Amino acid sequence: MSSEFTQAGAGYGFFFDQTLCTGCKACQIACVDKHDLPLGILWRRVVEYSGGGWRMVDNTATPNVFTYYTSVACNHCESPICMQVCPTTAMTQREDGTVFVDQSKCVGCRYCEWACPYGAPQFNAAVGRMSKCDLCYDYRSVGEQPACVDACPSRALEFGPIADLRAAHGTEAGIAPLPDPSVTQPHLVVKPHRDAQAWDRATGHIANPREI
Amino acid sequence: MNVHELPMVIFTVVSQMSVGTFITLGVIQLVLGRRHDRATLERIIAPVLYAIGPVLVFALVVSLLHLGDMLNSLNVVRHWESSWLSREILLGVSFAAFGFLFALMEWFGWGSYVLRQVVAGLTALLGIALLVAESMIYYTLVTVPAWNSWMVPFSFFATAALLGVLAVGAALMATTLIRARRAETAVAEPQQSVPDQSETSPSGGGLMVQVRSRIRQINAPTSATEWKIVSAMLSWFALIGALVAVAILIAYPLYLGSLAANGSTAAMQSLEVLTGPLLWVRLACAGVTALILGFFVYRKAETTKLHRSTTLVAMVLLSLAFAFAGEFIGRMLHYEAMFRIGI
Repeated sequence: MSSEFTQAGAGYGFFFDQTLCTGCKACQIACVDKHDLPLGILWRRVVEYSGGGWRMVDNTATPNVFTYYTSVACNHCESPICMQVCPTTAMTQREDGTVFVDQSKCVGCRYCEWACPYGAPQFNAAVGRMSKCDLCYDYRSVGEQPACVDACPSRALEFGPIADLRAAHGTEAGIAPLPDPSVTQPHLVVKPHRDAQAWDRATGHIANPREI
Repeated sequence: MNVHELPMVIFTVVSQMSVGTFITLGVIQLVLGRRHDRATLERIIAPVLYAIGPVLVFALVVSLLHLGDMLNSLNVVRHWESSWLSREILLGVSFAAFGFLFALMEWFGWGSYVLRQVVAGLTALLGIALLVAESMIYYTLVTVPAWNSWMVPFSFFATAALLGVLAVGAALMATTLIRARRAETAVAEPQQSVPDQSETSPSGGGLMVQVRSRIRQINAPTSATEWKIVSAMLSWFALIGALVAVAILIAYPLYLGSLAANGSTAAMQSLEVLTGPLLWVRLACAGVTALILGFFVYRKAETTKLHRSTTLVAMVLLSLAFAFAGEFIGRMLHYEAMFRIGI
């Protein structure tokens, strides 16, 4: 099965427009629904990043705070650390550049979970193996877009060959709380929120740790 | 406490202890081999050697509990050219296999003395490689600042060294005491005499006869010469053990300082977990180990007489218990400190 969305060598990835995201989590829910994910597994998560302090002008202190959302799934990285550390070769890359877990090989050691800085591989306790976003391979095979992309009401998510996404939207991928993009070279482009903080500034914190 | 990582805590600590024990025995063989005859050395080393196997196999079996789907467990060696986890399993199994082969050769007297030493040397190298692989699993994870630190290889090798020398020390003390007790109770039974050397010949008698004769040799009472050798070694073990324990005590503040300097959110989260009450228990265990070894075992080992050795034996066992508890808790902290960069 091959379609325009499963081209070999395409190196598919996501574009996420932080300026449009309202944190509604429709993408997250669409993903859970599409893949029938058990409770506790979220292949796509919406992270709320907050921080701030006081701005002092003369003797007046004004609150200077920020918060913004980042919707993250697997970024189907250029150098997928999950694949490098996987002892079984279950973590597999398709010809189109997307990474998935071969369930016939996975042993559920969770080493990929330790390694991935995006929290993409998640342990499915019901089957004892890892699970992760495969960029809706079945949908793409029949020419449909990934569920999260189609579900976003503000059209903040796009998917496509990473070269096209970068040509259209730039190369930014290092917005906190996302990690240093040089670690895994994610196929991800972010259009930063006006208050977006660089990955290495440690100016804020994840405000919704229990939701992700 | 994170129960999920308990199999990993047990596996890493016990496998490192096994490697340390094997290498300690190797060093004994190398150092004392020149000064004493083979029979004397073998009687000292053999019982400890045979204890490593079951302990290591236990550790390997426990490590399987870490896997979510054991039916696929043979797959874990497939990615050896890239994954340190695959390499760890391969090296762990190879270390166990070579150790088992060596134990068999020793027991039945297979192969020449030189050949056996070569197999032992290979086993020791595999053991060191296993320690390296275990360290690299964590050290190479650039996404976990608490693990991407010199502390991981240091602490893994320190565990091997500390528990290795103490396990050998404790095992030697225990066998010595047991042999001495057996000799006391056996006075009334004239049958239990010095073993007949002729029965050790591999050509003579059936398998069971050989095994029985080997066991009788192993159980023969401790001689004064043996006690002298063992107690001299013990003071060395105490010195090495105390130094390693002190090194651990020095390493922790340096490690925590480097984490604090890292500045990332993940490093701060790790630091918060690492500086909890368990840290003090862990450090206290290492401290008590160093004190018992340095101030008691080291000073008393060579002057203690065989028939008055009970306190010494108790102290060695106690130091092993404290050291083991310390390393175990330290390893629990190691896993608790897993905080990734990113999300």
